[in-house]
Amino acid sequence: MIGKDITIGQYLAKPTALHRLDPRLKVIAILAGASVIFLYGSGWGLLAFTGMLVLVLVLARMPLWPLLKSLRTVWVIILITALLQFFLTPGKVVLSWGFLTVTDTGLYNGLIFSSRVVILVLLLAALVMTTAPLALADALASLLSPLRHLKVPVGHVITVTSITLMFIPNILEVSRKVMRAQMARGADFESWNVFRRVRDIVPVLVPLFVKVFHDAEELALAMDVRAYPENGIRSRLYPPRIGALEIVLTLGFMSIAVGLIFVF
Amino acid sequence: MGGDSGNRISVEELSFTYPGAAREALSGINLFFEQGEFCAILGRNGSGKSTLARCLNAILAPSGGKVTSCGLDTRDQGGSLEIKKRIAMVFEDPDTQIVGTTVEEEVAFGPENLRLSTDVIRERVDSSLELTGIREFIGRQPSRLSEGQKQLVAIAGALAMEPAFLVSDESTSMLDTNARQRILELFLSLKEKGMGIIHVTHFLEEAAMSDRVVVLDNGRVRAEGAPGDVLYDPVKVSEMGLDPLPVTIVAREMSAMGYPPPGPVLTVEELLACIRA
Amino acid sequence: MHPRLTLENVSYSYPLPGRGEVPALSGISLRVEPAEILCIGGANGSGKSTLAQVCAGLLMPSSGSVRYQDKRVERHKDLLELRRKVGLLFQSPEDQLFADTVEKDISFGPRNHGLRGADLEARVRRAAELFDLSLEELGARSPFSLSGGEKRRVALAGVIALDPEVLVLDEPFIGMDFDSRQHMKALLGRLRDTSGTSIVIITHELSSSWSLADRYALLAGGRLESLQNRSELVCNEADLSALGLRLPQWGLLANRLEKMGIVVLDPADPLALARAVCSIGEAGDDR
Repeated sequence: MIGKDITIGQYLAKPTALHRLDPRLKVIAILAGASVIFLYGSGWGLLAFTGMLVLVLVLARMPLWPLLKSLRTVWVIILITALLQFFLTPGKVVLSWGFLTVTDTGLYNGLIFSSRVVILVLLLAALVMTTAPLALADALASLLSPLRHLKVPVGHVITVTSITLMFIPNILEVSRKVMRAQMARGADFESWNVFRRVRDIVPVLVPLFVKVFHDAEELALAMDVRAYPENGIRSRLYPPRIGALEIVLTLGFMSIAVGLIFVF
Repeated sequence: MGGDSGNRISVEELSFTYPGAAREALSGINLFFEQGEFCAILGRNGSGKSTLARCLNAILAPSGGKVTSCGLDTRDQGGSLEIKKRIAMVFEDPDTQIVGTTVEEEVAFGPENLRLSTDVIRERVDSSLELTGIREFIGRQPSRLSEGQKQLVAIAGALAMEPAFLVSDESTSMLDTNARQRILELFLSLKEKGMGIIHVTHFLEEAAMSDRVVVLDNGRVRAEGAPGDVLYDPVKVSEMGLDPLPVTIVAREMSAMGYPPPGPVLTVEELLACIRA
Repeated sequence: MHPRLTLENVSYSYPLPGRGEVPALSGISLRVEPAEILCIGGANGSGKSTLAQVCAGLLMPSSGSVRYQDKRVERHKDLLELRRKVGLLFQSPEDQLFADTVEKDISFGPRNHGLRGADLEARVRRAAELFDLSLEELGARSPFSLSGGEKRRVALAGVIALDPEVLVLDEPFIGMDFDSRQHMKALLGRLRDTSGTSIVIITHELSSSWSLADRYALLAGGRLESLQNRSELVCNEADLSALGLRLPQWGLLANRLEKMGIVVLDPADPLALARAVCSIGEAGDDR
């Protein structure tokens, strides 16, 4: 139906090379990449990593625009955290504005932090866009199953994660509907008055949460009725193959990534 | 079709109260459901029809009484997987019951959960799509389909479990008239093939197509029988909170004028046929 | 006497990022008169929800014009004003409930339009009464603690509280049982008769508004295919089928009778239909 084609944080149906890759490998690669970035990434290393990431995505024929759009949702948080870093980190003062001072360390830290978040979001977006929610759930189930021996309640984590993933398009659709209903009652989301805009969020958030929780329960029920197993372990119509090529590529990606970070 | 013939669902003195609720949602229900039968469950909002449907496949465990589905007691946790295989369910909202990103993935979901082999899954997907007449949708994204088509996909997904019974919890309520017709025709053809269909609805024209009608009111069985017997009197029907079929209202006026139809009439054809006779 | 709402050659297309536009409405010309109940019949995908939103000022047409009492709706300010004059109720209106109390939820609309104090209270009270909601009993309760039917009535009251001159209802009867539906129909009739409100019911199911609507506009593929009254609809059953719509049993019966040469003046009147059917029997006896 019209308007349901939202690609922000949602599975993209165009087949790319990354779509065919076993989701378990993708998850491992991303986890490894993300940890390295957050622990060690700085300065040129981050830049090099981003460059390589973009290269991989382009080679895989991944449409970049939807990826960039996924940043729209988080740019506010990134901006706020960056600003906090700029103004509150002690160091040599670089800019001054009344009682607000920006230090050189603050500037550097803020930029580094923002870049890390941006890369992380892009990695996650790439994952979600190239992996069907169900496949991702299966990957998690498979990867987390060893934890079962340690008596960790893995099943719930998997079910909740998979339902959440499946719900991203639903959340957007529901919020659109609720916003329209409230607009019809005089809420103005295009107002110049910022306070008005913030106040008018409540009549959208509350029904949104209520409806989304309700829908999530229904989805969980629909899955349960078709015997979705608690441990998430199922067979597949198209079992993911991990061939030599895939393993080589993934390891290659990971080594280069790690290498870049440490070299720079 | 799945399940052995002679599979039935028996409901004995069933009562159910939702946790924290003041009154019983169901009380003293005694019913049987057989394979090869199309049974419609009617009732006003809040009469307990959805609750009853969910007691049949062990989603809800009885507060009192007993439900035996295909020989398995629904209170028994151990039998719950078997029950899910034998009694499939489709729900009202097409958008919140579909998990796959393609129709194929969606229909394969059930068999995959049962850990069947790839070949068997393939077979089941193909035959379910065949049964529901949506073979050509196999690679399509469910989000791009119409509501009625989505429900057909949901039903195909349920059929892939190879159940003995299909319970429809108001699966036609959100659809337009043409889509509803298609689903009803599907139900009828499944029934012909030996499946037991239990269809919760508030559309009397749909109940008119069933073999047997059960009307719930306030958690109890208020009426049960052939559609003609249960639905012919518009006064009784509206007392039970249901929307009387216009033809029955006209028939009643005709009786008042001294021309009562010889038997229960529920459709326009029936009404005109008995005049011409 | 001006029509309340006039649509002239209205078209609307949804922008789809990266894929151009998807047309939803084309060349719609329509008038909504005071104190009438207009039914816009359309199957899913016919553009009915889009039309509802254009009528209520939620969407600005891509081309064509919308006039309210002959004043053209052009700027954003006009749209906001239109939203007050034309109340819109979506499917499952209970999905919009958000406030702590029933009273606050109903007052959301009028409050947004500047009503305060005693005026606001009076408006809320009147709206609640119209839908048989007792503010004494329910006013301070959370809307989420109510039954499904009560929730829907709170949502309806919330829209009526805007005091709209035109009420647009998108599939208002879906999921309603017999009693609620009768109640709603009586209410809509009362609104038309005593307040002169124009009511537009948008639905795919002609049966619920069969005895209520004065005129029927048929929508398909974003176009307004025809404007008819009940008797005309009865004669044009084939056209309806082509548009994905069905006559209710009343209409089907009248249609069959009409094919036999018996015209029923009011195809919503059970007595008239009964008499007509009996007359076949009599004609048969005479032979």
